[in-house]
Amino acid sequence: MIYIIDHQDSFTHNVVHQFESFDNVVCDNYNKINVNKLNKANVIVFSPGPGAPKNYPISSSIYKKFKGQKKIIGICLGFQQILYCEKGKIIEQKKIYHGYQSQIKVTSKKSLFKKNRKFNVGRYHSLKLKEPFAAKNFEITMRCAISNTAMAIENNKEKIYGFQFHPESFLTENGNLLIKKILSA
Amino acid sequence: MTKINYLKELIEIKKPFIIYKSDKGFDLYTDFSKKIILSNNNIKKFINKATQFKSKKKETDLFIGFFGYEILNNLIGVRIKKQKGLKFPKGIFYKPETKIKLKNKLDYKFLKTTNPKKLFKVNINKASYKIIFDKFKKKIKSGETYQIKICTKYSNETQIDALDFFSRLVKTNMAPEAFMINDKNYSIISCSPENLITKKNNFITTKPIAGTLKKTSKLDKIKALAFFRKNLKETKEHNMIVDMERSDLSRVCKAGTVKILKKKIVEEYKDLFHYVSLIGGRIKNNISSLDIIKAMMPGGSVIGCPKISTLNLLNNQEKENRNIYTGSFGYIKFNGDMRFNIIIRSILNYRNRSEISVASGVVIDSNAKHEFNENYIKAKALIDLYK
Repeated sequence: MIYIIDHQDSFTHNVVHQFESFDNVVCDNYNKINVNKLNKANVIVFSPGPGAPKNYPISSSIYKKFKGQKKIIGICLGFQQILYCEKGKIIEQKKIYHGYQSQIKVTSKKSLFKKNRKFNVGRYHSLKLKEPFAAKNFEITMRCAISNTAMAIENNKEKIYGFQFHPESFLTENGNLLIKKILSA
Repeated sequence: MTKINYLKELIEIKKPFIIYKSDKGFDLYTDFSKKIILSNNNIKKFINKATQFKSKKKETDLFIGFFGYEILNNLIGVRIKKQKGLKFPKGIFYKPETKIKLKNKLDYKFLKTTNPKKLFKVNINKASYKIIFDKFKKKIKSGETYQIKICTKYSNETQIDALDFFSRLVKTNMAPEAFMINDKNYSIISCSPENLITKKNNFITTKPIAGTLKKTSKLDKIKALAFFRKNLKETKEHNMIVDMERSDLSRVCKAGTVKILKKKIVEEYKDLFHYVSLIGGRIKNNISSLDIIKAMMPGGSVIGCPKISTLNLLNNQEKENRNIYTGSFGYIKFNGDMRFNIIIRSILNYRNRSEISVASGVVIDSNAKHEFNENYIKAKALIDLYK
């Protein structure tokens, strides 16, 4: 079962539908967590949402509690939530991407995806990761083809994955395949 | 008796009626046997009871009316602080006993002239608009909202002949979701172009509009599409609305059934081109009418995104009640089928006051002066009816 933590976003149910094609999904609001179901889940997903990771201390503590024990996936704010818990700095960016389709590139050999592959994705983010960033077992594996902004992180050892873009958006090509690959990793 | 004479008689004997755009013309609803004034306490009961019959036998087995903005916020748990306003009901529904089809052309000659004594007054001037605009732009930079619509309200002391106004409005601005309500103590006219819910059996669609272009002699449908595609701001706003509506539908639809049926096409109306998408899905088992209304309302395209956090920002800012504006008008049939629009481009007339609310969007690359003027242009089309 996949447990999706909703940060009250207007895209969360696209995420729910996308994951529902692979497994049973339970989705709860970030401040109404069902501990029983959370404990039973194999995968935890941190949804997109407004604001910054520091606004969601409950999500941070869930991440820290289950890191290494369950597969964890973060999307947009969820991606930033993982980085924030790994001592990354999340900052405002000069150029803001809301409803933007842009090309990203797989930049690391350690990725589950083929290096140098390019594809179009949908983006909805005001904030981004401040670099340089380093955390044990974490690798930045995808970047914006133009601005070089970090677009994905993978930690294949502890099974933690995050995307700054939205795999569930209609603007993302092959978003379902991407999620399928992460879920079967 | 001709249908227009029939309408005139309804007005003379002060009998309430509703007109709603249909495919080929209009539908007139009257002879109301019930009138339900909604409150935060009775709304859930009303929606549940309205569809308890499961089957509909007659064309008039339905409730028709509107939900105001405030009651829809309350329904999804978003609180609004005390606001100034007309104290207009939060929502009203009627049970009609008569439904009559009308032609597209309403040849109605008005009974009395309605020139207001003063000019319409706007509740937020250009300078205060700029302050709100800059404040919201900061919220976009910090990620609290991705798109937000600032509402301004034009009002005046005046009485109107609603049917006269509506006849003239649809002559110049025919819109697929146009409607009017004429009751004893209030009237509403609207040329809303936007359908929020069309539900038939277990199939539901929504048709958001993001992007409007005024017609000129040089412009055709193909050129309008090229304009929208080239315009990055319109494209981004539209994309955001499409993903948001997909998500709202996904709350009540079976996984894998939510599809974009028409993706970013141009629709041509009498004076405008609209950039629209049509999104649909199959409703899950055990979903009630109330679930559907809560998932879809208030309609996202006129609020901003993400919905909850953006509503909270708006409600903390707005000092005046929106009343009907950005609420929903439509009907719910006894068998659960529904049609609802988003109330925009509307006039509310109550207690000898006319209110016209308009809104336009703040995204990261919009400009305060442009959006303020855009609001005025939208309001002007309605204000001009008072001349």
